[in-house]
Formats: sequence, C-alpha cells, structure tokens
Amino acid sequence: MRYIKLYFTCIKRSIITRLEYKRDTFISIFNFFVTNVASILSIWMIMESIPSLNGWTMVEMGFLYGFSMLPVALDHIFTDDLWSVAFFKVQSGEMDRMFTKPVPVLFLVIAETFQLEGLGELAVGVVMLSVCGSMLSVSWSFGAVFLLIMATLFGALMITSFKIIFAALAFKFKRSGQLLQINYNFISYTRYPLKIYPTIIRGLLTFVFPFALIISYPVEVTLFATYSPYVIAAVIVAVSCALFALSLCVWHILERKYESTGS
Amino acid sequence: MIQLQNLTKIFKKPIRKEGVLGMLKTLFSAKYEEIVAVDHINAEIGDGEIVGYIGSNGAGKSTTIKMMCGILTPTEGKVLVDGIEPYKARRKVASKIGVVFGQKTQLWWDIPLIESFKVLKEIYRIDDADYRERMDFLCETLGIREFLNQAVRTLSLGQRMRADLAAAWLHNPQILFLDEPTIGLDVLVKQHIREAIKTMNAKYNTTVILTTHDMQDIEDLCSRIIIIEKGGIIYDGPLADIKHRFGDLRTLTVNPQASFDADLLNTFDGKVTYERDGDGLLVKFNADEVALEHVVDYCFHTLKTSDLKVAEITVEDVVRQILEEQEAG
Repeated sequence: MRYIKLYFTCIKRSIITRLEYKRDTFISIFNFFVTNVASILSIWMIMESIPSLNGWTMVEMGFLYGFSMLPVALDHIFTDDLWSVAFFKVQSGEMDRMFTKPVPVLFLVIAETFQLEGLGELAVGVVMLSVCGSMLSVSWSFGAVFLLIMATLFGALMITSFKIIFAALAFKFKRSGQLLQINYNFISYTRYPLKIYPTIIRGLLTFVFPFALIISYPVEVTLFATYSPYVIAAVIVAVSCALFALSLCVWHILERKYESTGS
Repeated sequence: MIQLQNLTKIFKKPIRKEGVLGMLKTLFSAKYEEIVAVDHINAEIGDGEIVGYIGSNGAGKSTTIKMMCGILTPTEGKVLVDGIEPYKARRKVASKIGVVFGQKTQLWWDIPLIESFKVLKEIYRIDDADYRERMDFLCETLGIREFLNQAVRTLSLGQRMRADLAAAWLHNPQILFLDEPTIGLDVLVKQHIREAIKTMNAKYNTTVILTTHDMQDIEDLCSRIIIIEKGGIIYDGPLADIKHRFGDLRTLTVNPQASFDADLLNTFDGKVTYERDGDGLLVKFNADEVALEHVVDYCFHTLKTSDLKVAEITVEDVVRQILEEQEAG
C-alpha cells in the first residue's frame, strides 16, 4: 500500500518534469509517430512487392506488428529509466542518491519515469490490432482474447525482466547499455513471421530470449489456431514469472557491486 | 553511534578494452589492478558529535563516507551504525541518515524545489505535522522559502546547497553526512550554512560528519577532527590539540623589490623560514612566537616588497606537517 502511494507520488513528479519541457515532450511524441509510421510503411512496401511472406498476407503482418507493439509499449511506459541506468547513471555515480533512500533501489529506478509516449504506442497497437483483426475477420473467442491479454501483460514483464538483468550488469561493468540494446533488438525480429528465420534465430527467439513466445506464438494461435491458447498462456506466465524472479536476484546481487564515482 | 572496525575498501579495476567486444572480453578476463582506497581504519563517533573528516584529494574521505551510508560495501572490516551494518540493512540505516554530496545534488533537477520535498516526504514517510514543523524550521534556518517554487536547475550554487541541506534534514536524521558542503561557495553563504549546521545540531542533537578543505569550516564547527591520508587515519582527536601542536602558523607571500642575499635574511632567531617562490618569497612563521607586525614590518621596510599576502594554515599544511612529524619520529 505504502509503495503504491509512493509510486504515484514519484510518477506525478515525473510528469511535472515532462511538462517543464513542453517542446521536448512534443518533439518526442512526434518522433514516436514518425518512427512507427516509417516502420509500418516499410513493411507495407515489402508486402507491395511480394504478395505474401511465407504464407502471411499484408493484413496478417499488420496484425502481428500491431500486437508486437503492446507488450513493448507497456514495458516502455513503466520501466524506461532502466536504459539510463545501463547507459550512464551507474557510470556517472548518479545512483548514489537512490542508494541513500530507505526504499529498494530498483523501485526508485522504476518509479523515476512514466513514459507518456508509451501510451501512444499502446493506442497505435490496439488500433492496428482491431483494424487488421476485423479485416481478417478473426474469431475473437474467449481463449484468444485471454491469450492476447496475458501475452501483453506477462510479455511486458518478460521484456522488463531482461531489461533489469542487463541494466544490473552495469553495476559490475559500469556500462551495459550496448548489451541491453543487443538484447532488446531481438524483440524487433518477432515483428516478422518466425518461419522466415533460420533455425538458429528461431531457437534463440524461443529458448534463449523467448520473445517469440510472447509475440509470435500468441498471434499464430489467434490467426491459425496452431496450439491451445490456454497452454501457450500458461507457458508465457510461467516463463515470465521465472525470468522476473531471476532478474530480481541478479539485480539484488549486482547492486552490491555498485562503486559510485570519486568526488 | 558509528563504529568503524578495520574498515577497508579495495577497488578492483579490470584492465578493460573498449566497445561492445571489449566489454564482452572483460566478462572473461581476470586481469585486475587493485587500488586500496581505505586501509584498515578504526574509529568511533558518538551521538551529537560534529566531526571534521579531512584529508587531501583522493585520501579516502568520500569512500569512507559512502561505506558509512551504505552506498559501498567494504572489502574487509565493517561499519556499524547503531549496531547495524548499512550495506547489509541498507534501508534500515537509510532512514536514520541524511546525506549531502556537495558536488552532486540529491534533488530532482527539473522540478520546483517544493515538489522534491513532497517526494522525499513520501519516501521517508514523514507525517504531515512533522513535515510542516520541519519545513518551517528549515525555511527559517536556511532561508529557502523564497525559492521553494523555482526549479532546482535555476538555483544558484549557494541556494542549491542550502536546498540540499534542507532535503537531507527533512526526515530528521540521527546522522548527517556532509561531503564538502561549502565547496565553491562565497564567504557569506558559507557562514550561513555553518550557522545552520550549528543550530540544527543543537536543536536535534544530530551527529554531523563533515569533509571539507576549508579550515574555517572546521574551526567553526568541529570539536573533533579525523585526518586521513592514503587510506589510513593519521590523526584522531580534538581540534585544540592540533592547533596547540602547530601553533598559529602563517605564510606571507611577498614580492621583494630590494635585492637580498638568501643567507642573510633576518630569521628572527631561527623562528622564520624563507622559501623562494618564482620571483617572490614565501615567509613562514608561527604567530605565537614572532609578532606578525614585526615580520610584516621587515618585509616592507627592508625587503621593500611591493605586495604582501597573509595566509593561515590550510588543511593541506596540517596534513603535511603531521606526515613530516611521523616520518621524523
């Protein structure tokens, strides 16, 4: 209860910060639109020249793309400050002030930002999903909806877990932004059908950084009814929770290796 | 009460290569160089004391403080704050301490000061009545009311330091760590901050541990000083003892216009020493032994100096003197 109240206080602070720089906030929202429109257009251009990609039509690709935005957006909204931990906050000693507060350091990192752009990303994702869904006349069975919701929520948890693990490495190596970036880039592979990739990438996306599990499989289940939605949902929940627990352990251990900087 | 027992911090610096590949390589390489920042120190600081923790740059002051407030984990030995090791029960100790790092602000840079205080109120779970009382007291003592609604980035250094001090004091900590709280400030603001520290120490019996390079800070505030050099404590005791040992040391910087023979200068029976300093001359003596006016008189009338500057003993002088004494005997 206490942490929920504290979280809202911190978030309010973060939003006040954004409003201090209205122009910057406007530009970054604009930037987000340009980035997303550009990637949607690039998929569209690819599909223009080839009628289908491994049996996937343009609209199905749009459905996949739209869905892939949801867990990413959710993670983006809540945990964006992990990037700055990985890239510079540990190295510059800026974490000092978090270490002197009677609250878990990871909590303060998460509560540091509330990324408004993420809300736009979420909205675009939902719109793409419903437009492409109705064009494909997807049967919105209870199982499918349940699976997509679970995949969104726990998918975001999985993405966050990986971010926590790679950001925590900064406590040991001072900077781990590049490693985090490499890991994060794997998510964008799931915006195309899994089948177009060689086995090694597919294996990587299923077993090592299982982003396919939270994006590709739920979409395939919804569109082509390949597996039981409940089984996939259960696997997603189990794997994400396990990864989250692991990430908390890793953070907890590596946090004690923080060395600050000379002053 | 704070106890330091055989406290040691060794930084292991991996010999690192650049870029992503280099970083991956350091994952597997075991090449380290060791830097001993703090070397087996022991001390005990009682409640309500104001202790000056001094030493030259890189002596290990900040490292010790960071171990005391739970940011760093010691390599060996331990810190006990009321019997608890801060790096093990970090959150428990954190609510008892306040920290000001003069070089880095603890406040949120982009938002009005008052908003930072509101967040801190939640973080430290300060109840409304305490918060109001403390805010009134801090506003009055530190004079921060006038800029409460300004964003921290727009504050001057002096204002920001006062704001930082208020932020560290908001939850009424038992122990306050001040790492160079007067660095870069003008004399008036320094004076203001010292007064505030004294008032708050008297009112709440707060233990204050302060690092500084300013001898005046120490004279005004501290009853006890601990001097650290190359990671080890070289002096721990009352400030009065140090003053007694070294007396009232002065250094005059003069610029003699008359030609003189370095061997024939008046040494006032060996009590004054001279050192060449470029074109000028450094004149060092103890003002308890030789009257300042006699030396100044000599500089003006015999040496025909065009300029004269009087400096009192600095922290660096004290450290050097103690080291010299220890080497000698």
